[in-house]
Formats: sequence, structure tokens, C-alpha cells
Amino acid sequence: MTDIIRTEALGKSYGDRRGLDGLTLDVQPGEIYGFLGPNGAGKTTTIRILLDLIRPSHGRASVLGRDPRDGGPALRRRLGYLAGDFTVDGGQTGSELLTHLAHLRGGVAQQRIELLAARLDLDVNARIKSLSKGNRQKVGLIQAFMHEPELLILDEPTSGLDPMLQQTFVALVREAKAAGQTVFMSSHVLPEVQQTADRVGIIRDGRMVAVETVETLRRRAVRRVEIQFDVPVASDAFAGPANVADVKIDGPTLRCSLAGRADALIKAAARYPVESMVIEEPDLEELFFAYYQVEEVPHAA
Amino acid sequence: MLRSVFSKTLWEQRRGIIGWSSGIAAVGVLHASFYPSMANPDMAAAIEAFPDGMLEALGFTDITSSAGYLGGATYGILGPVLIIIFASTFGARAIAGEEEAGRLDVLLAHPVARWSVLVQRAGALVVAVAIAGIAVFAVMTAAAGPAQYAQIGVANLAAATVQLVLLGCFFGALAFSVGAITGRRSFALATVVAVAILTYFANTLGPSVDALAWSRDLSPFRYYSGSQPLVNGWPAADGLVLFLVGAAFVAVGVLGFSRRDLAT
Repeated sequence: MTDIIRTEALGKSYGDRRGLDGLTLDVQPGEIYGFLGPNGAGKTTTIRILLDLIRPSHGRASVLGRDPRDGGPALRRRLGYLAGDFTVDGGQTGSELLTHLAHLRGGVAQQRIELLAARLDLDVNARIKSLSKGNRQKVGLIQAFMHEPELLILDEPTSGLDPMLQQTFVALVREAKAAGQTVFMSSHVLPEVQQTADRVGIIRDGRMVAVETVETLRRRAVRRVEIQFDVPVASDAFAGPANVADVKIDGPTLRCSLAGRADALIKAAARYPVESMVIEEPDLEELFFAYYQVEEVPHAA
Repeated sequence: MLRSVFSKTLWEQRRGIIGWSSGIAAVGVLHASFYPSMANPDMAAAIEAFPDGMLEALGFTDITSSAGYLGGATYGILGPVLIIIFASTFGARAIAGEEEAGRLDVLLAHPVARWSVLVQRAGALVVAVAIAGIAVFAVMTAAAGPAQYAQIGVANLAAATVQLVLLGCFFGALAFSVGAITGRRSFALATVVAVAILTYFANTLGPSVDALAWSRDLSPFRYYSGSQPLVNGWPAADGLVLFLVGAAFVAVGVLGFSRRDLAT
């Protein structure tokens, strides 16, 4: 039992609505685990169970070898948590809040707080209610990272951060990994986790649909492709290439989706003079769809 | 001020505490300044015209004596009403209000036990209400000479004020506990309003309606002022009842809160 996080058939019902339906996952020491799923899939529910903010209806969870229910303050001392919507009393300054939270943790070096604030370019002396959503989230990042916890549990951590700060965040997460910390991070968009995560678990409707390395995921992701040719193309010219589906040909324009290697499609396209080519970044919804199709094969057979 | 949940709570509520304390104290001064004009025979005659039961229901028994006047005015209606509003809004906000605002997640994800958060916040409630009490006591004592009610004595003023603080804590703890169990500020405040109105009339009307006489012993208002602390000094046993029942509310709140899910 060296798992940092382990859940077994974790379930949570809210009245008739089901929040989690038998979720099983494991997070290994030192890894960065991306927890992906659309809004409402059960990501936040899972995270709040891990922090003992809510209790599971059935199944079991363990965090750093302890049941969150029994772990109490001693367990939470070893965790850092950031909610997607970091909400605190707005009347205080960032510095007041961070000092208070550091006290609750039994003390954090003031320099560490200052260093993080400088890296994130945050004015800790401003009142929190005067801060933008992004700056407020920075306060949240600092309180999660400041005590260098063994396990970071981050729920949609970069919502509201601009791209430059997202890079700072990525650097923070990588440093945490380098220092031997484990990171469990949820998101509803793949790009947020694909830069850092070792493994990705995909949750939908309260169940784990797939667990993959990011590399595998990227290879399987469905991308939309649009190619403009100089001349009209025969309507059956793209029926053959591997990994290509949903082919639509409209005169000189080809639209299709691509799941996996692009080689066959490119070679097929190379038979014609190509004006331009656009391959979109993988869309997570389509990725889920791809996983659903995989999931449903046994039923169809 | 930022070391513990207890001190942080007081620090965050400092404006409310100062505002309410000065407000309640100001009401005390206002009442005191009217006393000289009340303590004359014409007023006594005017008061005679009211039916006894009505005056009792309003908390006035002997309006022309200083203890009777203050016991009916500052310590009779407005003081209790204001301190109950202050304490119960403080108590309802302490857990339920914070939870509804989504602010408890961050705190409870830290290494602090739920019971500890509740006990510390309940402690902050007691201190906040006590600060209001100290303000009331200070101005009532200072005004005693100029407003000609010095014969009540500092000890009896202190006794009545301690009872006022305990009454506030009682209802504050009720709001706190209902809020901690349900997570809803509105439930907490509605409970206080309902309980305060019912028990107030149980205390004042109970004696004049035989069938309801028993209900008086269930009323916190009877333990608050039934023994007339402005005349007879501090009723330690009555005070203890208010304190212990209030503490029991908090204990029930801790039990309920520790078992339930935190609202998102």
C-alpha cells in the first residue's frame, strides 16, 4: 500500500442525483496525476471526499495511507489544497490571510510566502476583494504550495490565470515533482494538464472511463482537420486512409476527423496540390467520445 | 490577531462588534437620560392608567423606581432585543453564513479539526457579546450619578449586565448551533426569532394565565431577569442555567456539524 491516493468503488449520492458511481483510482508517489472530466462529472466531489469536507455514501478512500475521515488535522497538515473557486473573506489582505493559514499549519517561513508572491507577481498587501479573479487565484496557489506538502490536491487550479502565469504554475508543479511531492490535479481541459501530468484519469458521470499516460492520450485524441486543395477532389478520394473518419468533401475542401497518427492522411492528401491545412488541437469532448466508442465495443459485440 | 481561528474571527468581526457595542450602549444612555423625567408623580399617575397585564407584558412593573425603570427599559426590552439580534446574527454567520459564502472549505482543508473551529468561533461569540456588555456596563455606571439612579449600585448594574450578556450568548449559541447543523443562516435566525418571541411571552404572560404558568420555567427570560438582578444582585443559579444551556447548544452543534457534509 504505497499509493498516495487510493479510492475503491467510491460512491456519493445527493438525493436521487448521483455524484460518484463507483470511482476507483490510484495515485503513485511522486507522480503528477491529471484528473480530467467535463463539468459535473464528479471531480470536485472526489476531491472534497479526499479532504474530508464531505463523506462518501459507499466505497473507500485513502490519502497518504489514512482514511480522510480518521486522518484529521494530522493528515491535512501533509496536504495542500486549492479549490477552483478560491473563496475567502474579502476584507482582509492577502498577507493577513496567508499569515493566518501559515499559523494554522504550525508556521511557514515568511520568505517562502514572499518568494511565491514575487514569482506570481502578486501584491499581498491588497485587500482580497479588490483583486481580480486571477489574482485571487494566486493567493490560493500560494497557500497551497507554501508549506511544500507531500501531496497537492488542486481542483481546476489555473482557472482565471493568464497564459504567462499558467507557465509559472506549470513551473511550480514541475518543481514540486522534482522535490518528490505528488500532485493530483483536476481539469476540464486537456492542455492544462498535458504539459505536466504523467498520467491522466478520465472521469465521466461519476465513473473512471480510462486511465492513460499523456502520450497515449495524445495519440488517441480526435482532432478536426481541414485541408484546402487547389482543385476539387473526388468524393471517394479519402475513404481509405487509416485513423480518418467523418470525411466531408465540398469541392476543393476536405473536412474530417483524425484519431491517432496523421501519416496516412498526409500521404493521401499529397496526391493533390495543397493550398492550406489546419489541424485543431484535440477537443476533450471528442476525446471522451472516442473513449465512449471504445467502452461500448463490448456491448455492441 | 491572526494566530488562531478564535482571534481571527474576532478580528474579522471587529467593525460589527464596535458598532453594536456602541449602539447598545447608546440606547442605555438614552434611557438613562429619560429617567429623571420619568421619576415624578405625574408620570406615575399616567402609568397607573394602563392595565397591569399590559405593562407586565411590556416588561414594566414599577416604572418610577430607578430599578423598575431600567429593568423595564434598558434591561427590559431594548437591551435584550438588541443584544439578541447582535449575538444571533454573529452566531448564524459564524458557521452557516461562512458556509453559504463558500468560505469554510479553505479553512477546513487546513490542519484544524471541525470541533475546534466550532469551539473557537463559539468562544469568539461569547467574547464579542461580553464586549458589548462591558460597553453597556461602562456607560450605565458612568450615567448613574448624573441620571440620578446611583442607588441601584454598581454591583447590581454589573449583575444585570452579566445576565444581559448571558441572555445574548444563549440566543447566539442557539443561532450558532442551528446554523452549524443545517448550514442555513435563515434557519438559524428564524429559530431565534420564533424561540425568543414564544419564550418572552411565556415569561411575561405565564404568571397571569394559570394554564401557562409552567411555561415560564422554560423561558430564558425568566432566568435572565426573573429574580430582578437590579434589585437583588446576581442570580448565580439562573445565570448558570443560561450558560449551561447555551453550552449544550454548542455541543449539539459540534456533533451535528462533525457528521455532515459541507455544502459546496
